[in-house]
Amino acid sequence: MIHLFCALPCEAEPLIQHFKLSDIKEFDLFRIYQSKDKEISLTTTGIGKLNMAAAVSYQYACLKTSAADIWLNIGVAGHATLSLGEARLVNKITDEHDDTSWYPQIIFNSPCASTNLITLDKPSTDYQDALYDMEASAFYQLAIRLGTAELIHCLKIISDNAEQNTATVNADKVKKMITAQVQTIEQLIDCLKPLSAEIHSITAEPKHYQHFIEKWHFTKSESLQLSRLLRQWSLYLPDVDIMSLVADNKSGKTVLNTLRESINNSEFAIHD
Amino acid sequence: MIDTIYIEEEIANHPRTLAILKRFPEATKISCQRYGEVFNSKAQNFRLQKKQPALILARKHKGLALPSPKEYAIGAEHNYYFSHMLNCLYDCRYCFLQGKFQSAHYVLFVNYEDFIEEMQLILNQHAEEAVHFFSGYDCDSLALEPVTDFTNDFFPFFEKNTRALLEIRTKSTQIRSLLKRSPIKNCVVAFSFTPDKIARALENKAPDINKRLQAILDLQKAGWQIGLRFDPLIYTKDYAKEYSELFNTIFSKIDPDLTHSISLGGFRLPKDYFRKLEKLYPDEKLFASPQAEEKNNIGYPAEIRHEMLDFCENIITQHVPAEKFFPCHDSV
Repeated sequence: MIHLFCALPCEAEPLIQHFKLSDIKEFDLFRIYQSKDKEISLTTTGIGKLNMAAAVSYQYACLKTSAADIWLNIGVAGHATLSLGEARLVNKITDEHDDTSWYPQIIFNSPCASTNLITLDKPSTDYQDALYDMEASAFYQLAIRLGTAELIHCLKIISDNAEQNTATVNADKVKKMITAQVQTIEQLIDCLKPLSAEIHSITAEPKHYQHFIEKWHFTKSESLQLSRLLRQWSLYLPDVDIMSLVADNKSGKTVLNTLRESINNSEFAIHD
Repeated sequence: MIDTIYIEEEIANHPRTLAILKRFPEATKISCQRYGEVFNSKAQNFRLQKKQPALILARKHKGLALPSPKEYAIGAEHNYYFSHMLNCLYDCRYCFLQGKFQSAHYVLFVNYEDFIEEMQLILNQHAEEAVHFFSGYDCDSLALEPVTDFTNDFFPFFEKNTRALLEIRTKSTQIRSLLKRSPIKNCVVAFSFTPDKIARALENKAPDINKRLQAILDLQKAGWQIGLRFDPLIYTKDYAKEYSELFNTIFSKIDPDLTHSISLGGFRLPKDYFRKLEKLYPDEKLFASPQAEEKNNIGYPAEIRHEMLDFCENIITQHVPAEKFFPCHDSV
């Protein structure tokens, strides 16, 4: 799943339209939108770190997320010199309040250049050679508790700079800027999808696991052993019918013993 | 090769930092206060990062050279290891670094001068005795040599201090810097090997065994002392055939007089590293190998371990004298 977070409705609107997202009525503390196939969600958080942190937590509580999910904070930001409308991925986030930094991991060929970002408590027109926003540090700090660091990113579009400050920014301009960068956002998601698929593949339950859990009782520790044995089975004895082997077993314990015995009695080759 | 470089503020103007940055003009440079902010951050995934590791330039403050366990010694009473780098260019599935570190980024400690100063202090502590220094515990010593220029800075210390011995552990064929200079008598270039089929299955991105062997032959021809490291020994049903072939290939070509030492040890990992690797690579056959847990380590069951060690030891001792052979008979 892909989770998008925008502070402002005008940042969210072009994405809601582009990804054809619908408002989920049952959640009313923050507005959460979702695609029909439930693969993409978007939450509008409101301005500032507190709102962002609360919204990320709320979204996590409302939707079932996993380590393989992609988390993106999309929004506008200021910068001293970059031109309005340019997009930047964030490679370092510093919270101005306590000078703590985080380093989003860009391990793919990014669709746009990356730069550092400072999250402020209050709006400022004291532009420097960094992006400025009011949410990213809270977004990242929370999201890395819930997901995998390499799948969590902030993409910012320049809305104001030293020549054209925040006074010139309005909702219509923001909508146009985000709309103009939808392709970049799509490309970023395309870069992250294979990484997400890889995490999914390594965190997924082994084949037959659910069936075993439903048919026999396993304690928590036995469930872990089962998971490990099922994986070993698929590597050692991929062509042997596991279900017929364990069909007559009466308990989880005997199932584990049967699997273990079969694996121990088979030859192990590390190469093909 | 390297798209992103993190630079600790403290060493931003170190001459080695500046030289390395010059090599990568296109890389994105990101400053950080301490490398641990990037490297030790939780929620990172080693497997994903291994696809495109960044380089982190940092300063090593403490623990520049540490005592190494006696069972890994190759003939000296006093043994120390040091790591000018953390992590490796290669992606060997059995490597403990995947379990040890949160991140797959390469950390390069640019303050070589502090390592050398520490080594001098250690040498002074052991007056008139031989001291061995091992490089390649937390990295491959030579794999990034064109970037790190490691040998150029460390060799003069060993040339001056002949009672210190340097072991450079590697799988790399980056030996140009060694061939360009006169061999150093108290330096051993130690190459790790597993049989070809096992290497193909487990040693991703590492040079194949023929290339490593060619590097050995080139180094021996130039007069360098070589070490052979069969550690970890990897179990497979036909391990005897695979290891026999490997030993035959190697011992039929190398010069035994210029072979300083040979060591071997079975595959084993601390339990928490093993479990982490198992989660990172659930479909990897290595972690489904026969295994036993002992003293918080996971390795092969004793009967397999002893059988393999005895088998290999028997062949190796036919080729090299006992004083050059250092088996590691530790438990799992």
